[in-house]
Amino acid sequence: MDKLLRINMGMDGGPKASEEPLGDYAGLAGRGMTSAIIAKEVPPLCHPLGKNNKLVIAPGLLSGSHAAQSGRVSVGCKSPLTGGIKEANSGGQGAQVLARLGYAAIVLEGKPGDDTLYKIVINKDGVDITPDNSLKMMGNYDLIDTIREAYGDKVACISIGPAGEMKMAAASVAFTDVEQRPTRHAGRGGVGAVMGSKGVKVIVLDDTGMSARSPKDPEKFKAANKAFVQGLKKHPITGEGLPSFGTNILTNVINEAGALPTHNFQTGRFDGAGNISGETQSEIMKARGGMVAHGCHKGCVIRCSGIYNDKDGNFVTKRPEYETVWAHGGNCGIDDMDAIAELDRLDDDYGLDTIEMGAAIGVAMEGGVAKFGDAEAAINLLKEVGKGSPLGRIIGNGAAVTGKVFGVERVPVVKGQALPAYDPRSVQGMGVTYATTTMGADHTAGYAVTANVLNVGGSVDPLNPEGQVELSRNLQIATAAIDATGMCLFIAFAILDQPETFEALVDMIGAFTGQDLTADDVTELGKTILTFERDFNSRAGFTQKDDRLPDFFKTEPLPPHNVTFDVKDEDLDRVYNW
Amino acid sequence: MGSPAGGSPFSSVLKRPMEPKPENYSTIHLRLTVESDRLSLFSSLLGQGFTLKVRTGCSVRELLCRQLGVRADYVDHRIQTIFLDGKTVDDVDTAVIRQESTLALSAAMPGLAGATLRRGGAYAAMRRQISHQNTAGHNSVADGVVMLKLFNLVALELGPGFLKQGVWIRGKHMENFFKKVPDYFWPGCRAAEIDGTPLTVEEIGRLEWRHRQVFLKLEVKESG
Repeated sequence: MDKLLRINMGMDGGPKASEEPLGDYAGLAGRGMTSAIIAKEVPPLCHPLGKNNKLVIAPGLLSGSHAAQSGRVSVGCKSPLTGGIKEANSGGQGAQVLARLGYAAIVLEGKPGDDTLYKIVINKDGVDITPDNSLKMMGNYDLIDTIREAYGDKVACISIGPAGEMKMAAASVAFTDVEQRPTRHAGRGGVGAVMGSKGVKVIVLDDTGMSARSPKDPEKFKAANKAFVQGLKKHPITGEGLPSFGTNILTNVINEAGALPTHNFQTGRFDGAGNISGETQSEIMKARGGMVAHGCHKGCVIRCSGIYNDKDGNFVTKRPEYETVWAHGGNCGIDDMDAIAELDRLDDDYGLDTIEMGAAIGVAMEGGVAKFGDAEAAINLLKEVGKGSPLGRIIGNGAAVTGKVFGVERVPVVKGQALPAYDPRSVQGMGVTYATTTMGADHTAGYAVTANVLNVGGSVDPLNPEGQVELSRNLQIATAAIDATGMCLFIAFAILDQPETFEALVDMIGAFTGQDLTADDVTELGKTILTFERDFNSRAGFTQKDDRLPDFFKTEPLPPHNVTFDVKDEDLDRVYNW
Repeated sequence: MGSPAGGSPFSSVLKRPMEPKPENYSTIHLRLTVESDRLSLFSSLLGQGFTLKVRTGCSVRELLCRQLGVRADYVDHRIQTIFLDGKTVDDVDTAVIRQESTLALSAAMPGLAGATLRRGGAYAAMRRQISHQNTAGHNSVADGVVMLKLFNLVALELGPGFLKQGVWIRGKHMENFFKKVPDYFWPGCRAAEIDGTPLTVEEIGRLEWRHRQVFLKLEVKESG
């Protein structure tokens, strides 16, 4: 993983690929790599769909090795949804295969002069870029079937669906999973639209003949990885809760907390939550011969994904995640698990962010386009997006656009990006992160990683009511660093609770890179990444006024607790003081 | 952290009568004999809540350990997320159960939200607006009724104990359960009685439950 692959899609005579050493980017990976390249090479005021934007796809630091949970891949660009810098990450096979092919990043640059659609094939012998207009407007599932026929069932694919080709601001980039299905997505911020603007439909990665990446100290690495896996398996969240119920284990609990945004953030409780909870979902999956515990990439030991079948036992989609179940479920008043699974399947096929789609449909429902709870109407609205009808293009460009078009005041977005599944009036510390993260509202930007364990930014008294800003800051720093490793964020709980598991992770990274990692190093890496991102956004025109939640969160009390978001603006402005 | 060190999460067999006398409802007693591998199907029902007759005015710990017989180590280590009347509980020794309180119990949860909601967790400050305020010192001990909700791993582990003793379920939740339960439940439901009268499992699914309070009691048989 010691080279960059640049593909200029706008060259005279057709796209051209070139390899180059990492240079200034040596040592960076994942979000560290994507944000460094975007911040340095992309003019902040460029049009996101123009020739000067770049799409960077970067595996994590440990991707391609035998390290457990190391299969996250980052996708970065200037976002067509937010207008700021974007890093969206995904599971699937892409990170592992790309890393084994030796690339620290693929950088798509330039823009074709016409609407020709391209297929890129990368293997040990090099890069082949061919026009293939037969793939136009193909859904991700049909696309991958076509690729499988041509290249076999061992390749990994990075692709866009029709939404990406239509350059919708909610378009995702799909990554195939272990079964070569396009179920894993870098969903947020419209990264798929940028890939579409480059004229790239699919990147086929074939690592035949390539080996796993080798650690500097194999014995120490092996021992640390073993201890790390043991720690993950013995922890009740990573060893029991997530494999048993997936991330949707959260629905009942968040609902009980009164923090489940319902009917486009009108209330914090959904009467139908029990029908779409992780507990119910798992029983449905078991009864239909699906799979409850399933990894999204090789080397995953948590296995929070799963297989959701229809009543006849046929595959529909992977286990819809909590965010998806919320977005298409409670947020739209829908308590039909099969309808939510169908919506998830359509999102994956069209190549769309499930959060943005659920939020946009919720806003459309509030605007009178359909009634809350009408699952058939929601499915039809999503099909409009897939067809690219005028209504579909409105919704496919996200909640903010949908709200403007239909005159809705309650539009749950920050920097143009829809809020995820936790109402910030109930969990206000998350609201601080939603407001201030460089990404637009993002629940993973300040994850519950080891901020206090690492003492990032100093330890914060957990019961001090004034600590929310400090906690959010520390979590955003620590999360940025973890995003650079390519580790799944779900490792957070085991390393948070079990010092020996955290130590095993540090040892594993040290044994792999040959460099001892300290808490200070992690802090510095996180701060560096955030500094790149803040600087880019600042140059793109963002100010403190963009670090705010929509007004209704401050003025509309949220039932059942009737709370409003009361963190002061001046406190929000302290998040980036370090 | 971790699951209970084998065996039952209860320190003693539940002895407290679970039959409060619900007022103003038509009541019905439903007894089901089910195979053990169908027990997990009742998790969704337990998450909707069931009522118990208890002594109120005590702490959450006293209710769980002394009255309901849950092992202290299970409460301390397994039940990591607790809501009392929708508010997040940090201290089980100071949060007080009131008449008609709703107590929800969950294992540790993933995500920042999960970590934030965890009792006494590192990120408790992030949800202070919905944190339960200590109520010790204002106790008034009396007979009363609470609603208990069990989620995820806690439902799987504590649920069978309560179901074998019998719990009161709202009729609309019972009806919803029978409507939504996967088909493979029925072959594992070996016998059923309503108010002491046997009936077929097919008849159960057709009954009107919505406007009743149902006392549900399970007898569990080994699968196969």
